[in-house]
Amino acid sequence: MNDMKKIKFFVSPLLASGIVFFLGCENPKLKQPRESSTEQTEGKSDHSDQVDQEFTRELAREFAREFVQEFAKQMKQKGFVLDANESLKMSDNPSLKTGLLDTNGKPHPLLSHCSEDVLEFYQKNADCFSILSPEQIPEDLNWQDGSNEKEFSSPDAKRGGTFHAYMRDFPRTLRTIGPDANGGFRSYLLDNNVIGLTHAHPNSDGYYPGVANQWAVGKDGRTVYFRLDPNARFSDGNLVKASDYFFFFYFMRSKHIQAPWYNDYYGKDKFQQVTLYDEQTLSITFYKAKPDIVERVSIRPKPEHFYSELGGEYLTKYQWDPEPTTGAYVALPENVDKGKSVTLVRQDDWWANDKAFFRNRFNPDQIKVSVIRDNDKAFEIFLKGQIDAFGLAKTEFWYEKLKNEHPLVKNGYMTKVTFFNQAPPPSYALRINSQKAPLDNLDLRIGFHHAMNFDLVLERIFRRDFVRMNTVADGFGERSHPNLKAREFSVDKAVESFAKAGYSKRGKDGILINERGEKLSIEVMTGYKHFEDVLVVLKEEAKKAGLEIKLKVLEPTAAWKMANEKNHQVIFSAFGTFVELFPRFWEPFHSDNAYQENGDLKYQKNGELKPGITTKTSTNNFTQTAVRDLDHLINQYREEEDLGKITAMAHRLSKMIHDHAVWVPAWKKPWLRVGHWSWLHFPDDWGPKESTDYEEFQVFWIDTLEKKKILDAMEKGEPVSAQPTVREYTKYKK
Amino acid sequence: MIQINPLTLKKLRRFRSIKRGFWSFIILLLLYCFSLAGELFVNKRALLVSYKGDFYFPTYGDQIRGKQFGLDYDYETDYRTLKKKFEQENLGNWVIMPIIPYDPYEMDYTQDESTGFSPPSWETRHFCGTDKTERDVFARLLYGFRIAMTFSLGYLFLTYLIAVAAGSVMGYLGGKTDMLGLRLVEIWANVPFLYMVIILVSVMPGWWGVGWQVSSLLFIMVLFSWTGMTYYIRAAVYKEKARDYVSAAKVIGAGPLRIIFRHLLPNVISTLVTFAPFTIAAAISSITALDFLGYGLPPPTPSWGELLKQAVGNLKTAPWIVISTVTALVLTLTLVTFVGEAVREAFDPKKFSTYE
Repeated sequence: MNDMKKIKFFVSPLLASGIVFFLGCENPKLKQPRESSTEQTEGKSDHSDQVDQEFTRELAREFAREFVQEFAKQMKQKGFVLDANESLKMSDNPSLKTGLLDTNGKPHPLLSHCSEDVLEFYQKNADCFSILSPEQIPEDLNWQDGSNEKEFSSPDAKRGGTFHAYMRDFPRTLRTIGPDANGGFRSYLLDNNVIGLTHAHPNSDGYYPGVANQWAVGKDGRTVYFRLDPNARFSDGNLVKASDYFFFFYFMRSKHIQAPWYNDYYGKDKFQQVTLYDEQTLSITFYKAKPDIVERVSIRPKPEHFYSELGGEYLTKYQWDPEPTTGAYVALPENVDKGKSVTLVRQDDWWANDKAFFRNRFNPDQIKVSVIRDNDKAFEIFLKGQIDAFGLAKTEFWYEKLKNEHPLVKNGYMTKVTFFNQAPPPSYALRINSQKAPLDNLDLRIGFHHAMNFDLVLERIFRRDFVRMNTVADGFGERSHPNLKAREFSVDKAVESFAKAGYSKRGKDGILINERGEKLSIEVMTGYKHFEDVLVVLKEEAKKAGLEIKLKVLEPTAAWKMANEKNHQVIFSAFGTFVELFPRFWEPFHSDNAYQENGDLKYQKNGELKPGITTKTSTNNFTQTAVRDLDHLINQYREEEDLGKITAMAHRLSKMIHDHAVWVPAWKKPWLRVGHWSWLHFPDDWGPKESTDYEEFQVFWIDTLEKKKILDAMEKGEPVSAQPTVREYTKYKK
Repeated sequence: MIQINPLTLKKLRRFRSIKRGFWSFIILLLLYCFSLAGELFVNKRALLVSYKGDFYFPTYGDQIRGKQFGLDYDYETDYRTLKKKFEQENLGNWVIMPIIPYDPYEMDYTQDESTGFSPPSWETRHFCGTDKTERDVFARLLYGFRIAMTFSLGYLFLTYLIAVAAGSVMGYLGGKTDMLGLRLVEIWANVPFLYMVIILVSVMPGWWGVGWQVSSLLFIMVLFSWTGMTYYIRAAVYKEKARDYVSAAKVIGAGPLRIIFRHLLPNVISTLVTFAPFTIAAAISSITALDFLGYGLPPPTPSWGELLKQAVGNLKTAPWIVISTVTALVLTLTLVTFVGEAVREAFDPKKFSTYE
């Protein structure tokens, strides 16, 4: 019996660990659509910066809500007149007016191929869809074609070879929309592959042409005109039609795709009108003029000929039958090895083969993405040469597991790359709930800032590889505050601030107490188990300033829930950010996201909060910031359409939030670190400035001859390089 | 008061004569006492400071601030630096530090270039090296041992309390109580122990303090593991109940409580003692496993599981963690097992069969 017991206790921990490892295997990175601003654009294997998916999803929802509210406001302000006009027009057959039908009730030639359901949808929403004659295109448009921008691929690139990559989990569908579609694999099908109307240039603030050869922003600042490339083709050989952009909205607004986020985002509220002029020309009208309007309306075509119309069977029918794409790679059902791998094949006669900005990209003939569930295992397989590249952002991978002295690197078989990029970093910070006593005291919050020894964390844990984040909006180029600095660690300043807040005596254990004998004890919560060591360092160092920190490391969902209910004192967390023209302040810092009372109703005359107002839960204002002046400026900022003014306001907002001291900036990673086999080649600059992942812009290529050479040399034990192949690209280093 | 049965006494004497088990027991006891007095041997606070003719004993008691010793800061004195300073000044002040001048929470970032995982070194007194955040591995092992042992003893006491209560009720009353009770125990025993603990620990309210969290972890573990012992107690009580001396007690007019406590339990105690060391070993490995999985003691409490987790992730970069932790774990469990074997041998009924 004793033996049984012993066996039980040796086996059960093992079993349990097995199960927990299995459960703990990180789910594939959930990707919200690019437009959502929530996509976490970190390297694939980059554990260390995994931003909580729950946070990102919530941000997406919040973003959607914001738009609805804003639209309602807009309607109130100026929409009423417009409505009246609209209803006048609508009085006779609206489809006639908008050119969808001709006088005989037949559909316009551009829509002659449409199915009944689709046509009916257009007619029902005749205020959104219209067809005008080519003469009605405004004449004074300033057409752009991106010819002033530089290409970012390398002319030396060679086509061919198979690129081996890995994913954590097999995709649950090859659809790119609908339930389960936003898994990590989607970027291969959609984000890094499909070509939209135009693309934001990753090295500048401009755009480069995609399916549209030319574009022009209308006088109203919210309508963008596009001229399609006559060669643009889907992978099944059909040309891209202007009407595919009508169909895009039929698709995105359909309830059958079961994607409420898309339904809402591409709803009427924001995309107010699409107009076709001829086979090649269309315009899209956004609800508001924005400096980055071209990017916002540059949607990707939906192949109408493939779907014809949508019905209840959409989800199941297209589960493993991917739609034709304008991108270079196609996933064919026969190349899917269920549960094991998906192989994407390069179209040999891809329409954009020689198109500027697309040539010399998408070089491998095939991309084979295999399932490897464990990151450490993936690393071992990478070392065996069965994966071509691996993200090395984690300090331990870069310094310990793949040292510069590692034989693979020393002999030049493998290359280690540090590429300094410029992209908004995930916002790692301690978010102070300014509603919870004693943190409702500004001096105490400033003291808390000075008691956080991030310098030590950066120096010792991250070996100075990461740098301190300074403002709430770092990484937004001009829009980031030029010289604002995060408050430094200083015991004296912290103690002085705490004294102002009433905590002036040291207790028996060295922790400060106030006159009522209350200890200065703050609870810091996080959902990131892998950053426990960081918080431990902060905790020990804070003791010097007489601050006791109680650490609480929870499951991500539990931490998220607590913060959402605004039950935390301080939470250490991060939101994903993506390359965007200007930062957002409304979600995390506007008082409408802190209290239920709207606008200025929550303030007394002197600007202080009224007593007894109700906390608003489930918003991203984790700091419960409610400052009247800040609110007003954020409102103005959101209304502003001029980039120069937006920049100035962003600086002022950053400064005001800094002064309010509710957000202790942690760190940012100014680079990408990748290890790859030396047969993989990158352009001279390695990649565009805004790269956040080595696969993002598909500018690398495989030298198949060199691969053979390297493998031979490895077998013989001969080095292929005299020095360790460790490269650093500092062109975009700030 | 329970009187120890002369037979049990005999068995204990026999245990003493089994050298391996007995000495293991003594070593274990000493180790535990050593860990209980750990502050005197492994601590960042000095044992004794002589400053301007006054003596200070900082080990236990209030924090002494830097200003007290003429330093320029108001937080807790860094005695290691103080010692160096006094030695340099040579003004007759001195500091006596413990053998290992580190505590389990403190990050020793004083060495230049230390970025975690410093190898063992005689010079810096990190005899077992340091972990990821430069905390002394030996200090964490020692204080982890203290917590694990205390935890196991509490676990032992509580499980046996419940098991003895339930077992003796079922065994003594027998009949329907026994039948029903046994079924309940069987059902309860089939609840998977570790998984339940993991689930319950993860839904534990976060606002509980560390002390609460540790004790609730203990209660949860006890809740799901007391069942094993009830069978043995029940069987032993059943066996003893049928003996003549119990009938004799009944005839004299003793009540059930008196019979259970005065007559049965002293005879049953040998069963308990036999199992005790193995329960301790089981508790140590469970708490280590839970910590390893991240469901155990809240950070930054020193724990062996947490050390093991770090060790597994850094086998090549910091082998000293895995070596020292596994050595400590194996050593402890071996000692406990030796004790257990000796106890079992000493209490083997075959050696002491008596005819009545």
